[in-house]
Amino acid sequence: MTPLEVVFHLKTPLALGHPWLHLDSLLAHVLLREELGERYYALPTKVADREAGRAVEARLPLKRWRDVPVASVSIFEPPSAQLQLFSFFKRGDFPFPRGRVDRARGFFKDYYLRAAYAPVQRVRFYCTGEQEEVARLCRMISALGKERNIGFGFVKRVEVREVEEEWGLVREGVAMRPIPIDYLRQWEDVSWLAYKPPYWSKQNVKLCCVPFTRVELA
Amino acid sequence: MTASGDEWLERWREYFLSWYEEGGVEAKAEEAAEFAQPYLEEGIASVSGGKDSMAMLHILATRCKPDLRVFHWDHGPWLMPREVENEILEGIRAVAPGAKLIVRRYRFGWSERSRVDWRPWYREFFAALRSLGFKYHLLGVRADESCRRRARGRIAQRKQWVEVHPIYHLTWRDVWAYIFRHCVPVPRVYFHYARLVGWDKVRLVTFFDREFEKYGSPQLDSVLSWRWRNNPGPAGIT
Repeated sequence: MTPLEVVFHLKTPLALGHPWLHLDSLLAHVLLREELGERYYALPTKVADREAGRAVEARLPLKRWRDVPVASVSIFEPPSAQLQLFSFFKRGDFPFPRGRVDRARGFFKDYYLRAAYAPVQRVRFYCTGEQEEVARLCRMISALGKERNIGFGFVKRVEVREVEEEWGLVREGVAMRPIPIDYLRQWEDVSWLAYKPPYWSKQNVKLCCVPFTRVELA
Repeated sequence: MTASGDEWLERWREYFLSWYEEGGVEAKAEEAAEFAQPYLEEGIASVSGGKDSMAMLHILATRCKPDLRVFHWDHGPWLMPREVENEILEGIRAVAPGAKLIVRRYRFGWSERSRVDWRPWYREFFAALRSLGFKYHLLGVRADESCRRRARGRIAQRKQWVEVHPIYHLTWRDVWAYIFRHCVPVPRVYFHYARLVGWDKVRLVTFFDREFEKYGSPQLDSVLSWRWRNNPGPAGIT
């Protein structure tokens, strides 16, 4: 396992569904798609597929500290990039039936959505893992963030390089990802956050330190 | 170069204060007070804590009837985090210290399920309104908000009560100008959201509410109010 820096160079702005992206969730997503093939697109939405989850966890090429993957959340560059709002209408992709279709309500309802996006040029992550496998999986990521289907977060190229120190968990006393406070001696700020993939699952939510605040590991 | 949060707010404050004179907001507020006066004796002001209802409450409490009746609906911690709810209640008490405040709580708001199943909400909310038994309900509805609200008119006859909209003719600029001019307390989340969505579109709605998914609200909440996504606050879960 090698300390690594992963940099995604973006072609288009990044739409967000959360303040940060998690490198381990990106890699787990690619692995799950590999593991399940076509079945990936028919997964239940409310509960995590435990069997597939275990297989992905075993294959995830990242070091773990306790049960926390050593992989940071995203660092956006330039850091001065301010959030912007993109409002748009979204319609169902299904073919419309013949006759009158009510697009104001019901199954074919049009959605007026708002996406927060940041005009970032690079997204940087730190992790500790198997360099070749991490690079292979990262190359399979064509876009980051939300609303990728309408052109947000397209990846131009990705660089995976070795760094001298392990910064996936903590860098110079600052947390680089959510870490449960049970694993910490001191912390500056806490919140209820998921700390391991899948990040959408309530089962993985614990009281954690907030990324980029000061902490001391226990 | 981008303005810092304080600079940005200060610039907008100056703009709204100048609009107060230019837009004749004082006269509009006076007219709203005069319009509402006859309905207050047999009516109740419904205050959500949003900017419109707080501006309306200030107009009514300072110009018409300091001891008016005020109804506030508490959505529960999963829909309205306690931090925001406490701010709202403090704001109401500060604006109308002499008011008789009636607070009803949404029974299911103490369960996370309230974020996805909003059907019981309507049932309970309207049952609560009916149980109050007032003839007039004064609401902070404005014509400027949407075509649907414009179509409701300034007075709307409902089955069991009459809806009165005193600030119907005020625009979003007027409301913000009134708030800044009279230092009407509104929840701080307003300023946080206004920076992204704009002063004209910013609204106080329940957080992470699937009912508003069609307007993209939960998606914005996940970025701007991420702390309340998994837990609505220290007093939220008991």
